Amino acid sequence: MSAAAAALPDVLRDSRLLILAGSGGVGKTTSSAALALQAALAGRRVLVLTIDPARRLLQALGLHGQDLPSNTPLEVLPLRRAHLPADALDSSGELRNRGTLHAMMLDAESGAIDMVERLLPTAALRDQVMNNRIYRAFLPALSASPDYMALELISFLMSDPRFDLLVLDTPPMHNAVDFLHAGGTLAAFINERVLKWFSKVPLPGQKSRFSILGAGTSMAMSVLGRLLGNETLPDIAEFFASFQEVLPRLRERANETDRMLRSRDTHFVIVTAPGETSLREARHLHRELREQTMHIAGFIINRVIQVPRMLADPRQLVDATARLRQPLLDGGLGLAESAALTERLVQAAARLRHLGEADQAHVASLRRLAGTDAFCTVAAQREDDIHTLAELRDLGARLLDASVAT
Amino acid sequence: MLGPMVTPSNPPLHDAPCSPLAADLLRHSVLLVTGKGGVGKSTVAVSMARLAAQRGQRVLLVELESVSRVAPLFGLPRVGPTPTEVDRRLWVSCLDSVDSLRFFFTQQLKVATLVNLALRNRAVEGFFKAVPAVKPMLFLYHLWRIEQDMGRYGEGRFDLIVCDLPTSGFTIGMYAIPDTLAHVFRVGSMATYAVGMRELLTQPGRAGLVLVTLPEEMPVTETLELRADLLRRHGIETAAIVVNGVYPHVMRPEDVAHLQAAARAAPDATREAVDEWLWAARLLAGRRERAVAYLKQLQHAMAGRVVELPFLFRRDLPLDAVDLLAHRFGATHEGAA
Repeated sequence: MSAAAAALPDVLRDSRLLILAGSGGVGKTTSSAALALQAALAGRRVLVLTIDPARRLLQALGLHGQDLPSNTPLEVLPLRRAHLPADALDSSGELRNRGTLHAMMLDAESGAIDMVERLLPTAALRDQVMNNRIYRAFLPALSASPDYMALELISFLMSDPRFDLLVLDTPPMHNAVDFLHAGGTLAAFINERVLKWFSKVPLPGQKSRFSILGAGTSMAMSVLGRLLGNETLPDIAEFFASFQEVLPRLRERANETDRMLRSRDTHFVIVTAPGETSLREARHLHRELREQTMHIAGFIINRVIQVPRMLADPRQLVDATARLRQPLLDGGLGLAESAALTERLVQAAARLRHLGEADQAHVASLRRLAGTDAFCTVAAQREDDIHTLAELRDLGARLLDASVAT
Repeated sequence: MLGPMVTPSNPPLHDAPCSPLAADLLRHSVLLVTGKGGVGKSTVAVSMARLAAQRGQRVLLVELESVSRVAPLFGLPRVGPTPTEVDRRLWVSCLDSVDSLRFFFTQQLKVATLVNLALRNRAVEGFFKAVPAVKPMLFLYHLWRIEQDMGRYGEGRFDLIVCDLPTSGFTIGMYAIPDTLAHVFRVGSMATYAVGMRELLTQPGRAGLVLVTLPEEMPVTETLELRADLLRRHGIETAAIVVNGVYPHVMRPEDVAHLQAAARAAPDATREAVDEWLWAARLLAGRRERAVAYLKQLQHAMAGRVVELPFLFRRDLPLDAVDLLAHRFGATHEGAA
């Protein structure tokens, strides 16, 4: 962990890979899109990646009614520079600093197939795996856990010369930290010991070779046989046998992914929102990332109720109410109606103040957690969703400003 | 006029009316509660469990966590996999995947020595941890066995199991398990289990699926998609959709219009104050308006099976707030919005 926190603009300038992590429903996708747009406006060539569903990202980028093809980057900027306010462009109408922005959806299922194809050296082996009962049955399950595939695909995309910054919107997960272990999971599944056992199991159509097993392996196989049924073991054996040759490469990929996550130009941004659950997840994630020596750039806290000055202070409430009286009447409201509206406003303000105070306490506790190592920036609760590139740019600009202010 | 406040004078739940929808939900042997992260799925699961317990059912609330989130509500530091009675007729069990793995090994291998051998064997453990979808599989197996022991004819320990499931991804994975197993295991005990688990998920009156959402665009869209997906792929019809955090009808669009007129009429000296009031009215009216629109969309898709729970204007939800939601849950009726 570096000694002094870099503000968000520095992070956007210096990263090659920016990973936004956090529990679901905290505005991670919108934050990813907002930061990616800011980086592009600052001159970087950015690819923002989402796992699924892509619609959220498209909506945040103002691309309504468009399909994001899976595993193919879609050009957002400079193609849609007309959707930006004029001050984002230079005098010739070009994007300042010649930045670019692409968006892409990672499709886990085709990603899984691609990965197997890249890993297995011969067509015969590929066919064998693709037709394996175990593989076919687990393929949908493999795709349902997109973290399995995401990191693998990202290390591949890092070498694409069109981009110099990848912004990754991580999939919402039960435990956001699972993502970090994804790289090693397949390697753990197909590890040498498991391979060694299954290499002794007769492949479909072969005779038993159990007699040559050592006592320990024999015991383990007998346990697995009882757990899964002996008749399934040959299929599993075939599946593992296909991977035998590529195990070193698989391991190497896992190590590569690991190095990539810990690299100096990879930064994590923890995205959260007020609320006990989100806060707990954010703390947990922070601890895990630290333990694993990943670089945490900072926190984004979305959907914070920011009560304005007078309403936030109960002592000023009488004054604020008094100042409302005449303008309401001048605005055309009757005396009784005006009094009734004021009464409801006062009650509503009390509730919002209560909520605002809780949110400020959450923000303060995250600021303490961030300390001097990381930035901590806040976005206010909106009355509406983000629908245009201009709104997204405003959001990003505010996030950047607020991160410098801390 | 305003939405409910949390006060100690909340009516006792056993006096609460129980709507036909709530009564129908509580007739299942298992309620599977799921939704995107941050929508308040755990709160909804606890509320439903409280409602059922206070209405006389013996309820087991199952959490899939390494550390229980429900235990602190009842003043307990932790709860493990063994059902712990936290209140009258309410038990909590907190399972993680290792608990379910141990349970599976124990059921399969019977002999304690073998179970410990298998659990200690790093390769066996690694194999099970790394198999895709193994977590939903182990949990579904575990749940199926607990449900079989319930004794649906009154002799069992529990009348209802409420499960606080992890994210919707886990749920999709779980519903796919019987098919996956049936493909991999054509004969043998695993094939038999696949049949049993499928029955648990599909037979009427057994596992009822409750989807929790917030009245916001993406959660609502994804909830409707999840429902359609489960219906199409597995023939599973969602038992109910619970809309959590519905902003009460505190401010109306016309209030905002009045304040806008006031802001135009205000001299510079009072303008800031009027703008602050306008901010409050806009936020509340805006969120309410959107909530109503999303409720309509959900009711259109699932007529009579939508439960609306109010936003309580707080970030923490202690037991009295949970009970208030439980009360609302029981009182809910179609078109409550």
